[in-house]
Amino acid sequence: MSQPTNIPQAQTEPGIATAEAGFVILDGPDGVAVTMTPRAATETGQSLISAARAAQQQHGGLEEGADV
Amino acid sequence: MFTERFLRDKRGAVLDADERACLEQSIREIRTLPPRSTLVHAGDQLSQSTLLIEGFMSRYIDDRNGLRQLVAVHVPGDFVDLHAYPLKTLDHDVATMTAATVAIVPHRALDAILEDRPQLGRKLWFSTLIDAAIHRAWLFRLGRLDAVGRVAHFLCETNARLMSAGLSDGRRFALGLTQTDLSEICGLTNVHVNRVLRHLRENGLCVFRSSLVEILDPERLVARAQFDPAYLYIDPQPPRPSPFQVEA
Repeated sequence: MSQPTNIPQAQTEPGIATAEAGFVILDGPDGVAVTMTPRAATETGQSLISAARAAQQQHGGLEEGADV
Repeated sequence: MFTERFLRDKRGAVLDADERACLEQSIREIRTLPPRSTLVHAGDQLSQSTLLIEGFMSRYIDDRNGLRQLVAVHVPGDFVDLHAYPLKTLDHDVATMTAATVAIVPHRALDAILEDRPQLGRKLWFSTLIDAAIHRAWLFRLGRLDAVGRVAHFLCETNARLMSAGLSDGRRFALGLTQTDLSEICGLTNVHVNRVLRHLRENGLCVFRSSLVEILDPERLVARAQFDPAYLYIDPQPPRPSPFQVEA
């Protein structure tokens, strides 16, 4: 049985996006492995930035990277 | 002999000559199948099971858009749908990936084996449990590994299974699959698989070209894949007749 400390945690390392044959490949963080069209990648990127800003505000006094 | 690869080198479940002869006698017919042909459709009422003699087969589930997830790949020696014996219908399709030769075993013949030869029945059960263990490893692969790890893990697993079947020397083996197959196995796009294979090649781990796999650095490939073959229950030192031993 897994201990509570072994459950998946929020990733503190970024995924790596690369261009390949006219597509965007996102590897990581963790087991993420996604291929997107440039448009989908652009919109995902914008959505991520927007959500990241909102999440920073939600953190309040908490440091980024604290357990969630 | 059509069953010679079934449970070959499996720890504690190798068939003796008498059991193998019994299984041979249970075969009703041998069929050759073209590549990419569906043998069993989900929901079919089944009265027979299929032992794969040559070639590769898969079990798969299509989503509502027709996109396919392979949930198992079978190598020679596998009893592909032995689980259909108690279940009678399957929840997935079964198809050839390459040209294949299969042995058809009627369920009534399996009834007789269970009735008359409980030890052989236990070994048939063992083979379905290995299938279940492989499914667990596939869950781990898709749930925990990144793209390179997924492909590396599948290639390590296939190498180990083919070594057990006597079809890989541990470094090279024929794998008549396409990059699309690898995509459907690993939950990746073709573009992603193409890049992963290039990564494996450029990093000196493995080359997959023209349906041949060459493992350049087994230790590093296994480490990259987090591959532990324990779930395959392969005997690391199977008893083998001496190559110089003359059979009576």
